[in-house]
Amino acid sequence: MKHGPDDFFLDDHMEIRGIDRRLLARILRYVLPHRRLLAAALAALICGTACQLAGPYLIKVFIDRYVTPGQLSGMGGWVLLYLAALVGAMGFVYLQMYAVSILGQRVILALRREMFARMQRLPVVFFDRTPTGRLMTRLTSDVEALQELLSSGLVSTIGDVSVLAGTAVILLWMDLRLAVVTFSVLPVLVLFVEVLKKRIREANREMRRKLARMNAFLQEHVTGVAVVKAFGMEGKSQQRFDALNGEYAVESVRLTNLYSVYFPGVEMLASVAVALLLWRGGVGHLSGAVTFGTLVAFLEYARRFYDPIRDMSDKYNILQSALASSERIFRLLDEEVSPEYAEARQKPALEARPSPSVSGSAAVPAVEFRDVWFSYPRPAGGGTIGGEEGPPVLRGVSFVLEEGRTGAIVGATGAGKTTILSLLCRFYEIRRGKILLFGRDIREIPREELRGSLALVLQDPFLFSGTVRENVAAGGDAIGPALSTIGVERFTREWSEGLSTDVGERGVRLSTGQRQMVSFARALAREPRVLLLDEATSSVDPVTEGRIQEALAGILPGRTALVVAHRLSTVLSADRIIVMHKGKVREMGTHRELLAAGGIYQRLYALQFEGGG
Amino acid sequence: MHRRVYALCVAGLLVSSVFGLLVPWMIREAVDAVSAARAGGPPGEGRLLRAVELMVLFTILNAFFRFLSRRSLFVAARDVEREVRRRLFSHVVRLPIRFFHETPTGDVMSRLTNDLSAVWIFLGPGLLMLVGTIISWLLAVAFMLRISPMLTGVSLLIAPAVVYLSREYGHAFHLRHRLVQESLASMNATLQENVSGIRLVKAFTLETREEERFSGECERYYRQNLAVARTSAAFHGAIGLLAGVGVALVLFLGGRAVVQGAITLGGFVAFNAYLAMLSFPTMAMGWVINLFQRGSSAMGRINEFLRLPVELPEGGTGPAGEGATPVGDAVGSGIGEPRLLEVRGLAFSYGGDGRGEALRDISFSARKGEVLGLVGPTGGGKSTLFSLLSGLYPAPPGTVFLEGIDASTIPLPELRRRFAVVSQDPFLFSDSVLENVCFGQERTDPEAARYATGLAGFLAEVEEMPNGFDTVVGERGISLSGGQKQRATIARALCAGAPILLLDDALSAVDAETERVIFKGILSEKGERTVLFSTHRMASLSRCDRILVLADGRIVEEGTHDDLLSLRGAYFDLYSRQMLARELEESS
Repeated sequence: MKHGPDDFFLDDHMEIRGIDRRLLARILRYVLPHRRLLAAALAALICGTACQLAGPYLIKVFIDRYVTPGQLSGMGGWVLLYLAALVGAMGFVYLQMYAVSILGQRVILALRREMFARMQRLPVVFFDRTPTGRLMTRLTSDVEALQELLSSGLVSTIGDVSVLAGTAVILLWMDLRLAVVTFSVLPVLVLFVEVLKKRIREANREMRRKLARMNAFLQEHVTGVAVVKAFGMEGKSQQRFDALNGEYAVESVRLTNLYSVYFPGVEMLASVAVALLLWRGGVGHLSGAVTFGTLVAFLEYARRFYDPIRDMSDKYNILQSALASSERIFRLLDEEVSPEYAEARQKPALEARPSPSVSGSAAVPAVEFRDVWFSYPRPAGGGTIGGEEGPPVLRGVSFVLEEGRTGAIVGATGAGKTTILSLLCRFYEIRRGKILLFGRDIREIPREELRGSLALVLQDPFLFSGTVRENVAAGGDAIGPALSTIGVERFTREWSEGLSTDVGERGVRLSTGQRQMVSFARALAREPRVLLLDEATSSVDPVTEGRIQEALAGILPGRTALVVAHRLSTVLSADRIIVMHKGKVREMGTHRELLAAGGIYQRLYALQFEGGG
Repeated sequence: MHRRVYALCVAGLLVSSVFGLLVPWMIREAVDAVSAARAGGPPGEGRLLRAVELMVLFTILNAFFRFLSRRSLFVAARDVEREVRRRLFSHVVRLPIRFFHETPTGDVMSRLTNDLSAVWIFLGPGLLMLVGTIISWLLAVAFMLRISPMLTGVSLLIAPAVVYLSREYGHAFHLRHRLVQESLASMNATLQENVSGIRLVKAFTLETREEERFSGECERYYRQNLAVARTSAAFHGAIGLLAGVGVALVLFLGGRAVVQGAITLGGFVAFNAYLAMLSFPTMAMGWVINLFQRGSSAMGRINEFLRLPVELPEGGTGPAGEGATPVGDAVGSGIGEPRLLEVRGLAFSYGGDGRGEALRDISFSARKGEVLGLVGPTGGGKSTLFSLLSGLYPAPPGTVFLEGIDASTIPLPELRRRFAVVSQDPFLFSDSVLENVCFGQERTDPEAARYATGLAGFLAEVEEMPNGFDTVVGERGISLSGGQKQRATIARALCAGAPILLLDDALSAVDAETERVIFKGILSEKGERTVLFSTHRMASLSRCDRILVLADGRIVEEGTHDDLLSLRGAYFDLYSRQMLARELEESS
């Protein structure tokens, strides 16, 4: 829970030392379904490498057979052969690259879908304690890092290795002594690459950290610009920014310096190898031991020999960061699903027909809470389920609601009103007691049946992006009746696209009141057996307020509904009022009864609903 | 200054290119020496050795100069980047608050990050590539012409086509890549929406629908990516084929020329080496051109921001004038000493065209050391009034006076420093508690911070934190509760030591008892400090010297607590309700 500033930046950049075999095996399991694609890529890779390696050898023969002896006939044919090798190499390489990118994309497509599906089944607690940003990173950058490994890392590493091995074999076969000369620079080169790459990696990480810090500062000062201005601290902020900017510049220059040594250095070493080769080869040629073609072929091979070595350590980086990412991905995939989903799998359908009691005979209440105790799990650091319990939010709550009746929950903020609705939806597991829906423990009702018979209206009317109609249809099939009961069309009619109007991200294009109406309609379209309504506290203009009250008056009478009520009209129309205070039910009854009793409700009523006192 | 660095850099590149291009020439020398000796000419060892020695020398010189020019160019580019970023930040932070309300944060950030890096990429690697390629081209062609004009002509035939193709490719790639980015953004939006609406998803059993929706997005992203891969493969194939034909042609014609004695074997080998040296830069030319285009459009977007007018430090609006003189008759009462704060006939609307008036005809004044309570329904205009007083939005001239001086003529930073504002939603920087509390001071003062934190009723909790005042809060540190944040911002305001303290419903997240304690702390300390305090809690209001009741953008009642109660108006209504609430709280 307590992050130092550095932990925060490193959280998503951690590196795995060494290579975890089990992790690799698990990644491989996602590749296996595409083994034909992988085989094709490997085949193309082998052919491409062969063509590439053939090139310089063809030149050798070309020189020795045609150029040196002055043989013109057949020269054109040999050149065509060389061209064929070139084109073949090109063609196969791109075939391979294409196959590999299909492979990589398919794997991450499947992986993303699986992650998303898993996410849908995680308990609400998981979302309470995991920042949205972190979840987003799992499904985006982490998946991309894995894709990078599959597309450009894995196969091209095989390619590089085979080019190196092939070249080495050909060189040794053509001329042992020249081959030794060619390889003589190799140890120096490898050492150079390793030493510099290590420092480059460190400098790069440091630079990225400074960049992240600077950008975080920027982001904060853009969002909090009002504070900066209010205190007239533009100058001070500027100074601090200059410092961060300067630190970043220092790091980036350090990296630049390293790279400026690295690239020319590698090339210089390669060039020195060519010079050595030229010298030894030239002397060999003079003594007749080396043909001229062999010398030229060696020069060509040597030129191609160094690129893979230069890239080798980048590949290792890709592999490492991909492994770190996949570990995080698999951690998400291994996250335990919410019990209601797990059970659904174990007992597919309790019974097709509802048990007799569910038919709602007068004796069985629609909703019953029996001595329910609940506390939200304390947000533990690691995001694992089953942390400590927080302070109890509900303390022995019991009440019943008969079918066809409306129950209004009233009470001060923090009394546990909204929690009651969440628990009925089984968003959280209760600690003690029982919640019954039409006489059945909700833990024994399959999820789809449970949630299918409930409809929830949240306090903050969240809409999905899409049209108004789509939003209503998200609730259920009874769109027409829902729209007309709520009167949604009274305001959509004024829009040129009517019900097909796009509501924008989270419904921003609609007013607060309109969003509330749409979310009512969405709930009604479900034809729920019990409606759960968390009334919004935010105030809306009088016209919309009137419409909302009208809509509620159209919904509530005769409907089984549990309402967290803030409106007087809603409370008055309720058949039963449940007064919550500090996690307990303090009073229960009708408006008249409670007023007559002269308890908390009577005073609350006076406080909240009676104008002026 | 940068011009000199760039000139040096071009010179360095020129020198290094000359040495680089001399390397194949030495190969030619070596090969010719050997083949001449084999053909019965003079013994070749000496010539061979010299050629190889020179080759090593040129190689080293080439690398050295390349290192120098590369380094100096990149450092210069980083300098420019840093300077532009500094100027951009300094400019942006001085733009009027209205700008930030109208411009999405993402847009501002993207110019400060992505656009800047596009500029750097062009100024650094892009320019290096561009200049390097041009120099290499000119020099290599000269060397190649010396070997064989005919072969040079043949190879140059292909070059324009390669450049053209690579440019087209860069263009197509950029377009397709943008599509990929767009589908990625849309996929992320779906994901974000799903996570924020997860309760509804679960409540309405929309899991399957959401999976299908997300799946569709993934699928689209997948297709766009494959389109990029296809484009890339096609263009690379075409360029590869073209280059292959060129190489084969040179091989054939060159081989024949050697046989016919038109060029030497060494010339033939060197020619091929030059060709190989040119092939990559030629292919990269298109890429460089694209970098240039992207860099210049990014610079355009940056300049767009830099051209926006900043807040004038002399005062809120344009004509500053020398009018910072006390306006005698602004002091309505005519008593000698001007009021510390006087507001006269202040009206304001956010639209600027009089639409949606937020404040209408507000007039009141406050003496030094006075504590004014502000009360009224949400949307009544309290926050707007605070924003105007503190100069966050410029108040119209002649409406707000500080010690008799029109606020619109007071330099903005000075004006703002006279007020310490605590806004409704507390914003803290992710920094240590100490730095946050001392934010309003030029220098961090731990003693003052301690004292202010104590007054704000936050000291005990800070001391319980893992690192006390050095504990980092916010995004990078521990998260504070709403009440803790509010008290931290109050401490920040107190620590700033401004003569006027504006508390905008700043204690809504603490309980009544804590509010009482904090309020007492502020009052005991008030001395010279004037406080404007908006709250809903009667207990605090009753301690104020005077209370303003604000509704619908105007002051509807004004007076002391007792005055207002006896009016039996809006304030009395509020009071009665609060009393009931208290009774309720006590009863439980």
